Formats: sequence, structure tokens, C-alpha cells
Amino acid sequence: MAKTANNTVIELNDLKKRFGIGDAEHYALDGIDLKVEKGEFIAIMGPSGCGKTTLLNIIGLLDRATDGDYLLDGKSVERLPGFRHARIRARQIGYVFQDFNLIERMNVIENVALPLTYTGTPHTKRLQLASQILKTFHLSEREYYMPWQLSGGQTQRVAIARALVNKPSIILADEPTGNLDSKSSHIIMEELADVHRAGNTIIMVTHNPNLTTYATRVITMLDGRIDTDTKDTKVDKKDAKGKRPLGQKPKVAKKSRKRKAKK
Amino acid sequence: MSLLIVEHFHTASVSLRRNRLRTLLTILGVAIGVASITAILALSSGITKIFNHQVSGVSGSLLIVRPAQKESSLVDLSNPTPSDAYSTSPIAERDLQTIRDIKGVKSVAPLMTLGSEIRSGNIAPKDATVLATTPDFPATTSLPILNGQFIDSVTLENTAVIGEQLSVDLFGTDESAGKIFTIRGQAFTVIGILQPQSNPINYNNVDLDRAAIISLDSGKLLNGGVAQIQQINVVAKKGTNMKALQKTVRTALARNHSGDADTDVLVGKEIERPTSKLFILIGGAMTAIATISLLVGGIGIMNIMLVGVAERTREIGLRKAVGASNGAIVLQFMIEALIMSILAGILGYAGGYLVAFGISLLLPYDPVFTWQIGAIAAALSIGVGVIFGIYPALRAARKNVIESLRRYH
Repeated sequence: MAKTANNTVIELNDLKKRFGIGDAEHYALDGIDLKVEKGEFIAIMGPSGCGKTTLLNIIGLLDRATDGDYLLDGKSVERLPGFRHARIRARQIGYVFQDFNLIERMNVIENVALPLTYTGTPHTKRLQLASQILKTFHLSEREYYMPWQLSGGQTQRVAIARALVNKPSIILADEPTGNLDSKSSHIIMEELADVHRAGNTIIMVTHNPNLTTYATRVITMLDGRIDTDTKDTKVDKKDAKGKRPLGQKPKVAKKSRKRKAKK
Repeated sequence: MSLLIVEHFHTASVSLRRNRLRTLLTILGVAIGVASITAILALSSGITKIFNHQVSGVSGSLLIVRPAQKESSLVDLSNPTPSDAYSTSPIAERDLQTIRDIKGVKSVAPLMTLGSEIRSGNIAPKDATVLATTPDFPATTSLPILNGQFIDSVTLENTAVIGEQLSVDLFGTDESAGKIFTIRGQAFTVIGILQPQSNPINYNNVDLDRAAIISLDSGKLLNGGVAQIQQINVVAKKGTNMKALQKTVRTALARNHSGDADTDVLVGKEIERPTSKLFILIGGAMTAIATISLLVGGIGIMNIMLVGVAERTREIGLRKAVGASNGAIVLQFMIEALIMSILAGILGYAGGYLVAFGISLLLPYDPVFTWQIGAIAAALSIGVGVIFGIYPALRAARKNVIESLRRYH
């Protein structure tokens, strides 16, 4: 889906996000520089409160950065009006949540078809596309189940199907396996890996180090900054700690835990 | 966009159907408001229609002379007939002749009302009126005779034409020709009975159903020889310029009254105004009260929409996350509010007419159907939906996605 020649899907330059004002001021993101290439599967790790989710929310245009540049497909999106953000969310971004967030009163196929509503797809076409995508997740026979009739793993597969139904250029997953047992977790991760193999860009936030085996690149965050990155990107020399070839199982080095002086 | 509206329509009807009772009660609130406004408008335009009908009966060639009224205040309006009807009037008998002599005048009829008791044996109907006039009176107002004849130049004094209701009240029948009753002890013979009029409110200010019509001479005798004329009905010849005639009559009367402008000369719409103004005012006041009930209904919509928005915080957050713009969310909830208010409008319009027809059984006139009332009902219901739906919808749209999704874990 990436339209730019250099295959860079996301580019963040000195991205900052401040919460609170005055004495309560706190930078959840404190200068993030990041380049994401098309087809990468990035796992973002880090302790609670280090800004992983905030970063994901900003990338997903659910939140706005306080400062810095965000280029999506080579275009700056940070200062676009809200409805343009909504359009990008509808067409270019698929979101997978920790707690699934299916709409309880809609059945599986309607839930999956929901994002297509906002891209102006006609009703029948929506259901066809949703049905197709559910088939790839082996959920065809569950199309008319209600969300509460599904197991956790099935629910999350439905949620991933929903994230993929509008063929987004990036898939953002915020602890997609956080509410699942380990078996279901691995099923979900296999599905995500399949999605990745199909050529999609995935950014996943996780607490579980085991899951980073599926990723092509692992970023650890600390105090609103990128602490380690398994891929040495040019814009991020300062924070890049490891250089590993793409696709190889990375060992997450968390040796330098020393706090960086703020500002 | 149109696709989205269809989609929202579907979503809204699903969510409204999920809370059937809640939706129904909310709709009922607005429907009651719309119904009361519809009923009041239907009934009050029923009155206006009666006036229009009467005036059009003499095809716009009617001119009326009345004693001058002070600029009518609310107090005057609330008792238009009794205080004026029996008071001394500046209109003298010679004014009749003056008007009769004006070019273009076809017929002239004086109206002299007397507050005298009408009696037959022991029966004395309280609300009966004595009206003394000339044989020209039927020419100035629609007055079909049921039985017998109207007083004319050759009928004897002490004969009377009575209204159908008065006849029934006095004699227990409308076949009362030849029967005798008394006015101030003076015996009168019934020579004619009027057809039921069933419009007690008319420009003659007399309920002809309950009136005994006697000749002007008899009336003068009963009044100590003085004609006490409350009103003169004048019908002009066809093709007369009514405005010009009004001016002529006014000047002629002023000359008669030594320059005093103590009479009102009314033509066209002015005729119905003094009396119908009262009803327009009452109608307006009632409409204002009914609007309050509509307002309460609207608040009901807002309340239920706010509850709906709170309940669906997560859904709103998710919809926004998967690409719904704020506009789309506003639209979704506005459509929901509008569905409720429009259904309420339809229900209220139908219910309002049911109520209006129910009430009209107790009233001498019927409610009317006009496109204006339908338009008002439609505008009100849509207006209520928009006004009370917009705030909850905006609230829904302004919700922060992240907070909405984090809520209710």
C-alpha cells in the first residue's frame, strides 16, 4: 500500500507527547525518532508507563503529538484536521486492541465489516469482503455468532480480521495477546505472522518477551525514549543499541537501563 | 454520505428497537406535545374558518357599523358581547335612513338587542336574546327559515321569528308556529322558526338559535320608544368599491353625529377581527402552554440520547478508531434522535386530530385540516429532534477515542 518509492511507511522526527501542565507536566514521549519500512513486523517492549501505548496511539492517529513530525507514507499528517485523520484511520490503519473491542450487539460479520462503513463501501460488498477475510481466519462458520458466544482467541481473531478488512498499510496491535492464555496467544501470533508474511506492516506493543520471536525488529522503550532498537536506523544513532539482520530472532538487550537525563 | 445515512438509519433503528420501552416512552413525551399543539391549532383555525365562511356568504359586500370601541384591551376582549350589547349606543335611527340613501347600498338592517326576559308559561330560557330588526335583516346575513316566514312590512307587530333552540326551550318542539310567548309581559306570536345555525359566534354578536327576532317598532315599544341600535348591517350592490363605500358611510355618519367619530365602520376582514381576536389570543396562549409540554418531551429525548451516548461510549470510541469522523458520529446520533422525534410527530399529529375531533363534539364547530397545521407539526417534531439531539450527538462526537476505549474494562 505504501505509495512512496523508498518504502518508508512511517517516519517520526523528535516526537513528543506531554501530559499535564505546570508542575504536573510529564513527557510520555520525549523525543522519538523512528522510521518504519514497509513489511516490517515491529515489537515494542518496555516497562509500564514508558510510553509504548502513547506512541502507538499517535501512530494510529488516535492521539496527537505535542511536538515533532509524523510522516505517514511520506506525507505529514500531524496537523491535518480531524476528519482527515478519520479518513486515514479508515483506509490506512488497522487497529487490534488488547480487549478486542467488538461491538457486543453486532454479530461477527457485522463487526468485521464495520470499518468499511466509513470508506463508503456498499452494504453487500462490505459483507462479501468481511466474509472473505473471515474465511482466511478460519471463522467462516462463526459469521453469525454474537461476540459473547466466542472464546477469547476467536474474539481476537475476529478483531484482527476487522483490522485487516479495509486492507490497511499498517496494522497496529496494542498487546493483542494480553487477555489470552499462552495457547491462544500463539495462535494469534501465528495469525499475525501470516498477515506479516502477506506483506503487511505490523507494529505491536507487548509485555511478553516470548512474542518478540515473531517480530523482525524489536524496539524497547524507556521513559518516553527509544532505549534499544534491533535495527540500526540512521536517524536514531543515539539510541540504537543492537544491529541484527532482518528476520533473525533478536535477543533483546536490556543492559543499559541507566536513566537518561531529561532534557 | 447518503450511504452513511442509510447505514446510520439501520444502526439507529436497531438500537432503538433494542430499548423498545425506553424509545416508546420518549416518543410518547414528544407526541403528547405535538398532539396538543395540533389539536389547539386545528380547533382555533376551526373558529377562524367559521368567520371566513360567514363573511364570504355575503360575498365581500358586507359593511358593518358598530359603536366605536376603545382600542381593545384584553379585558374588553374577554367579554365582547355582554358589556356592549345592552349599553347605550351612539347609533340613532336616522343613521339608518342616511345609510340607505347612500349610492351603492342595497340593503340595510339594524340590530337592536334587548336584555328582556322571554317567557312561555313557567319557562324562561336564560340565555335567550331579543333582537329587533327590520325585514332587510335576512338579506345581510344567511338566515334560512325552517318553518313559517320572516317578519316583513305587512306582518303584524307582536309577531316574532324565533331560533330553533329557543323554540325547543320554550315549547319543547320546533313546530311552534302560532304559539304565543311573552317579552316583558307583552305577548308575541311565533310566525317563523329559523333553521339551526349552530354558530353562536358570528358577526351579529347574537346567537340566532336562541334569539327571538321582532320588528324594530316592537323593539322600540319595549324600550320606551327609543331605538337602541347596536349594529347596522349594510350590504352593498354588486361591484361596489367597499373601501370607498366605507369612507362615504363614515363621513355621512360623522355629519349625522356632529363630527363625532363615535362609530366604527368595518368592511372585509375587519368585521371578524374584534371577536376572532379573542380566540386567536386564547389559541395563542394555549399553544404557548402546549409548547411547554413539547419542550418537556424534547428534554426527554435529550435525556435518553445522553444515556444512550454514555452507554455506548466504547462503541463510539471503537467506531472512531476504525475510521468514523466526528461528523459521522454526530450524524449517527442525530439520526437516532430524529427518528424518535419524527415518529413522535406522526403519532402526535394523528393523536392531535383524534383529540380535536373528540373535543369538537362538545363545541359548535369542527377542527379543520390545513397543510399549515401539518407543516407546523412536522417542523416542530423535526425541530425538537434537531435541537435536543444535537447536544448529545456533539458530546458523542467529542469523546476522546483513547478514554472511551479504556472505559468500562
